[in-house]
Amino acid sequence: MKQIRLAIKIVKTLVKDRIQYPGRLIMDLVAILMRCGILLILYWTVFKLNDGMINGSTFLFSAWSIFFYFSFSIMRYREISRVIMQDVQTGNVEVLFSKPISYLSYRMWWQIGSGIYSFFVITIVSTVGLMLLIGLPPTMTIGLFLPTFLLTFLLGSILSLLIYIIVGLLSFWIEDINPIFWMVDKAVMILGGSYLSVSLFPPLMYKIALYSPFGASQFVTHTVFTSWQSNWYQLVGIQLGWILALGLIVFVMFGKAKQNVSVNGG
Amino acid sequence: MESNSIIVSRLTKKFSFSAKNASSGWIKNLFFPEKKEIVAVNDISFSVKHGERIAFIGPNGAGKSTTIKMLTGILFPTSGMVTILGLDPTKDRKKLAYQIGTVFGQRSQLLPNLPLTDSLEFFGVMYDMSDEEIQKRIRELTELFDLGSYISQPVRKLSLGQRMRAEVAASLMHKPKIILLDEPTIGLDVVAKKSLRDLLLKINREEQTTIFLTSHDVGDIESLCDRTIIINHGIVIKDLPTQDLAKTFVYEKYIDLVAQNNFEVFPKLPNGIRYSLQEKNKVTVVVDVNQISVQDSLKILLSLFEVEDVNVYSADLETVIRHIYETDSIGN
Repeated sequence: MKQIRLAIKIVKTLVKDRIQYPGRLIMDLVAILMRCGILLILYWTVFKLNDGMINGSTFLFSAWSIFFYFSFSIMRYREISRVIMQDVQTGNVEVLFSKPISYLSYRMWWQIGSGIYSFFVITIVSTVGLMLLIGLPPTMTIGLFLPTFLLTFLLGSILSLLIYIIVGLLSFWIEDINPIFWMVDKAVMILGGSYLSVSLFPPLMYKIALYSPFGASQFVTHTVFTSWQSNWYQLVGIQLGWILALGLIVFVMFGKAKQNVSVNGG
Repeated sequence: MESNSIIVSRLTKKFSFSAKNASSGWIKNLFFPEKKEIVAVNDISFSVKHGERIAFIGPNGAGKSTTIKMLTGILFPTSGMVTILGLDPTKDRKKLAYQIGTVFGQRSQLLPNLPLTDSLEFFGVMYDMSDEEIQKRIRELTELFDLGSYISQPVRKLSLGQRMRAEVAASLMHKPKIILLDEPTIGLDVVAKKSLRDLLLKINREEQTTIFLTSHDVGDIESLCDRTIIINHGIVIKDLPTQDLAKTFVYEKYIDLVAQNNFEVFPKLPNGIRYSLQEKNKVTVVVDVNQISVQDSLKILLSLFEVEDVNVYSADLETVIRHIYETDSIGN
């Protein structure tokens, strides 16, 4: 009960913080509209040049898939790596370790709280805009879509946080995690279907995207395709498997990390 | 004032790290780096009674902060035992956190962009207080710390003195039995320092909070702490009532000699007298009264120098502490 109350307090406090500074929301909105907008124009042109169909997919499906990636990215789960690294490097970790909280769950809720306001506002505005501009694919109007979308979004969120927490926890042992962060982040971007929609992946790359934690963290991008209706439970199963595996790794790593704290003392 | 709040027994903390060996190749350095070890805290023991006000002091790198971090469960000891209010910080860190408050002078625990009330409410929830308890405690702390004039301002807009008061107030939200402060007055002006010290004395008196602080500021020690533990090179070198600390070097007297005209030469002094300061307009000497009396010293000094004024005094606390650090360093 205490954990839930604290989680709600963290999220409410950060939403209040973000509302007080609307400049950040506007910047996020402009960045997403530009990045996603440019991609969608490019895709529209490419699909048009190929008679509207590439690899069995149309522009409508690919556009929504890419949009889901960008919408998911507004949650900024990736930032948790850098936040942990900064806590370790600046010694701020000692402030949080002296509180009656679980450091990692505190940081996870902090990250959710940091992104949730921008996420909701931008996603709602962009979804309405995209619906008016290009319409909805039929796969998004069936009853199965919304519950499975929310389920994979939730599992993808947990998986993303676990991936980036593992990267962040490495800072307890190595000075600079940025090179590792860069590699992991690019793997998530590519296999998650940011710039190239997953429907256009060659078979081997599609398999890697399916069975790696990097791709699995972004399964929201798969929900728009027809295949999702028949294999959603397999993909959710893959996500659950990775959550268990990475959760165990995080548990062991954090146990060791706590004993490896060496904030500037003396 | 009877039971012990803190018991530290044979506490040791070693930090090991990889060091590059210039004579080895890069492969050896990468895969088999040389391990070096630093003993930050070396076999220290002490105990603190409930309601005591302890200054835990030492020069930079002495092991003060490392000890505080072991007391709060942030760092794991290499060996030895710590018991705080009957709890082991390494095993019961979260349980212990409900009983202690911490202030790290160089780090803020407040939410910078939001009003101070939000930070205080945030800590209240963190410490599992009910909404009524939180509001009641905020009212108490606002009155006690005189936060009323800036409690609604974003924390980042507060002056350093206001922020430090707010930091201490936040650390007291849950009415901790012990408050551990790591250099709480660092960077504060004299007025803000005094105000913070007065507040700490007040919470010690009114809420019987045990105070354990590290500081480089002699004023903190003199005006706030009834007992001083001095640590150097990771070892406790003195543990005594603060009022006895000044008496540690009572056998030393200082004599200032102000020149009538400028001093041109600084003659050799007899045994038991040594220069502490040699300037053209002023000389300070230290007299070891075990070897030579103040009266005899004055006679000799007045025969050696033409002076306008003389001042005889004992060492102040800062000098005493410096002397202890220096003596210990020479001993090591």
